[in-house]
Amino acid sequence: MARKRRSSKNKKSQLPLVLGGGGAVLALAIGAAVVMKPSEEQKETADSRFNIADYRQDASRLTGNTYRLTARVENIETLGNDRLVAVSLPNNKQERLPLLVRSGVTGRVNLTRGDTFAFHVACRNGQDAEGREVKGVMIVEKVETD
Amino acid sequence: MKAISYISLLPLVCGTFVLSQASAQGLGAARKGGFSAADVQRQAGSAQQPMMQMNQPQTGQMEHVPNIGKSHVDPNSGETPNPQVLGMEMPLLDPSGDTMSYNGAKFDVGNNAVVRARFEKYLLQNPDDSSEARRYRKKMRSIIKLTQKSARSRREVGSQTLVEIANGLYEMNEYIGDGGQSGALASAMASAIAAQYANRARNRKNEKMQEEIDKLVQKTNILTSRNTNKVQRGNNTVGAKNSGGGAPAVSNTFTIAHNTKKIGTLEAAGIKNAAENVAALELAKINFQSTIVSMLMQRRYNHAMIGAHTYRHIFSDGDTTLKLDSESQAAQMFEGGVGLPPTIGTMATMASNMRRDVDQNMEAVANMLAQNKLGEATNNLIQAVAVGEYMESVQTFPVEGRRRISEYWTLRKQALPALNARDYGRLEEIASKMKALDPDFDDSMLTSYCAGRKAQSDMHLRNAAKALKAGDDATFNAEIMEAGKIWPKNPNIAKGRAELEKIDNQDPVRDEFRTLIGRKEYRTIYNEQDKFEVVAIDPELKEQYKEAITLIGTIDGMLTQLDVAAQQDVVMGPCMAYEMLLERGEQDARYKEDPKYRDALNRYAQGAHEFTQALEKAKRSEAAREYGSALSNYYRAQCLYPRSTMAGEGAKRVTEIILKAKF
Repeated sequence: MARKRRSSKNKKSQLPLVLGGGGAVLALAIGAAVVMKPSEEQKETADSRFNIADYRQDASRLTGNTYRLTARVENIETLGNDRLVAVSLPNNKQERLPLLVRSGVTGRVNLTRGDTFAFHVACRNGQDAEGREVKGVMIVEKVETD
Repeated sequence: MKAISYISLLPLVCGTFVLSQASAQGLGAARKGGFSAADVQRQAGSAQQPMMQMNQPQTGQMEHVPNIGKSHVDPNSGETPNPQVLGMEMPLLDPSGDTMSYNGAKFDVGNNAVVRARFEKYLLQNPDDSSEARRYRKKMRSIIKLTQKSARSRREVGSQTLVEIANGLYEMNEYIGDGGQSGALASAMASAIAAQYANRARNRKNEKMQEEIDKLVQKTNILTSRNTNKVQRGNNTVGAKNSGGGAPAVSNTFTIAHNTKKIGTLEAAGIKNAAENVAALELAKINFQSTIVSMLMQRRYNHAMIGAHTYRHIFSDGDTTLKLDSESQAAQMFEGGVGLPPTIGTMATMASNMRRDVDQNMEAVANMLAQNKLGEATNNLIQAVAVGEYMESVQTFPVEGRRRISEYWTLRKQALPALNARDYGRLEEIASKMKALDPDFDDSMLTSYCAGRKAQSDMHLRNAAKALKAGDDATFNAEIMEAGKIWPKNPNIAKGRAELEKIDNQDPVRDEFRTLIGRKEYRTIYNEQDKFEVVAIDPELKEQYKEAITLIGTIDGMLTQLDVAAQQDVVMGPCMAYEMLLERGEQDARYKEDPKYRDALNRYAQGAHEFTQALEKAKRSEAAREYGSALSNYYRAQCLYPRSTMAGEGAKRVTEIILKAKF
């Protein structure tokens, strides 16, 4: 179960402890990076905290979270310049995840069906034309070629 | 000859009438005991009485006299009146239709109540072969021989042969089967002979009167001669002698006048006697002829033959002409169309031929029975009994033959009431039995007729059944009535009656049907559709009935097809089946009321539980406006069953919402 990412708040009174801990963590990270030497797949799954099954079960719980997902474009639905892209994640190709790609978000990246991209997404709530809630939609904030 | 033979059918209808006529004509009742010439002498005096009646007809009695010479047939009717003999209308049979006309009425010989009753009585009787019957027949044969002998013997009234014949007839009269016919004939003979004796007495009286006349004439002639002589002597004497000669002449003249008057009286009496002789003879002949004709008409042919043969013996003047109007049809019939007047000989020939015909009929009956041709045997026996019931060959017909013909006759008799009652089943049964008894019996027309009528009745019943299903009560009633009119005992009408009872008892069924419709238990109606079919008579319930049957039939058909598809693809098959059932259930809420549908839906939901969970979750999320989850669940469902309509439509719907939303 993914945890809700908490926003970072610097507290001056804990600065020495944080610096010390950060150094330790950094050292551990470097050590782990050297020892474990992560594979290519792990690199593709940019944010392993995300699980489509969880999303399907209750997307509202992920509202506010951001993820970097490497995913393959399976289908694209368009309305004007906005697109709703169905992508499949490498670790679960049997399911599709809907991503809302607003106009201009992709920049110079051309989303094509069958290609894999790195999507920076955030789970948000919105409103329809009548002001009613539209909850738990993954909004693409940035797209990078993989 | 055949036409003539049918006159013998008269006694079947009017035998009593003929007998009463014979009695009315002074023939008298048969007497018991012997017969002698003295009896004839005693009856001679009484024989003159009818003559007096003839000379002085009683106008008051004319009202009771039959319409002699008149027919019951209206002259303007165009029908030919029946011939008459001695004032009695004779029945004539039309062979083309086996109908006999008599007294203005027509009778079917084969279906006349009287003929039928007589014939049935005959069939039920035992053959009359008792010792008395044998003795009677033996006597009859001997008398017939005597009549032949009498024809050759000296013709004399009161001869020994005639006395033997008459005595023999009186003996035969004692036999109960004779019916008094022999006595009647004997009495007629006695009356005729008595009339002959009376005539003889008058002849002798005339002879004596003639002798007396002759004597008187002789005496008168003498007296006349004397007177003449006296007158001549007086004329020849002169003076006193001449004046006294007139007195004796006056005395003879008176005597001559008396004699002359007496001669005239005697002559008149003689003429009167001669006239009485002629009248008595004619009357005696008429009476005797009447008896012979009566015997013939009562089918007593032996008696008629005896009477005809003895007639010539009793009336030896050679006149055997029947006293018929030469212009009458009866006279023409008896003369046989040869232009000669009918005679006693004609009657004898007729009786003889009838005896022969009856014997031939009985011989034919025996032959037909031997060949199992019961129909022909029955027809021949009817004719034989009708024409010669008292003949020996008819009376001695064996009981076994009577039993077989009685069995066939009973069936034949039952056929007509069955036909009148339009009981064609019974009629066919009778025809079948008759065919079994007589292989020659042609039942084709009968069976064809029955089959046609039965088919007509059944056709109306089929129309009634159609009307019943269409709820057309009026047509149903009319067709049932028509079917019953044609064949009242049609067994299929009972089925129609059962249908009517169903209609009468349909209220509880109708109530139950309405309850089931209210509970939407369509499958119960479907499972018991035979029971609830009758409610279709009600136009209102008919639609509901049809809907229920159609709905469950459609569901069952669909489930069968889905079962086949699900078995062919164990992965997507259940998904497809589930989705289709779900769609139909949402399109028509009645599907959800059917337990079999619900069972199938549950079964396929278990087989495609991931798909169903995804769809359900998608719908719940969509309803909760959790569009992200909803869309991802629709996607999941599409992955499991790409052809899912519900998932596709849901995804499309949610996609549109998301794209139009502002974040």
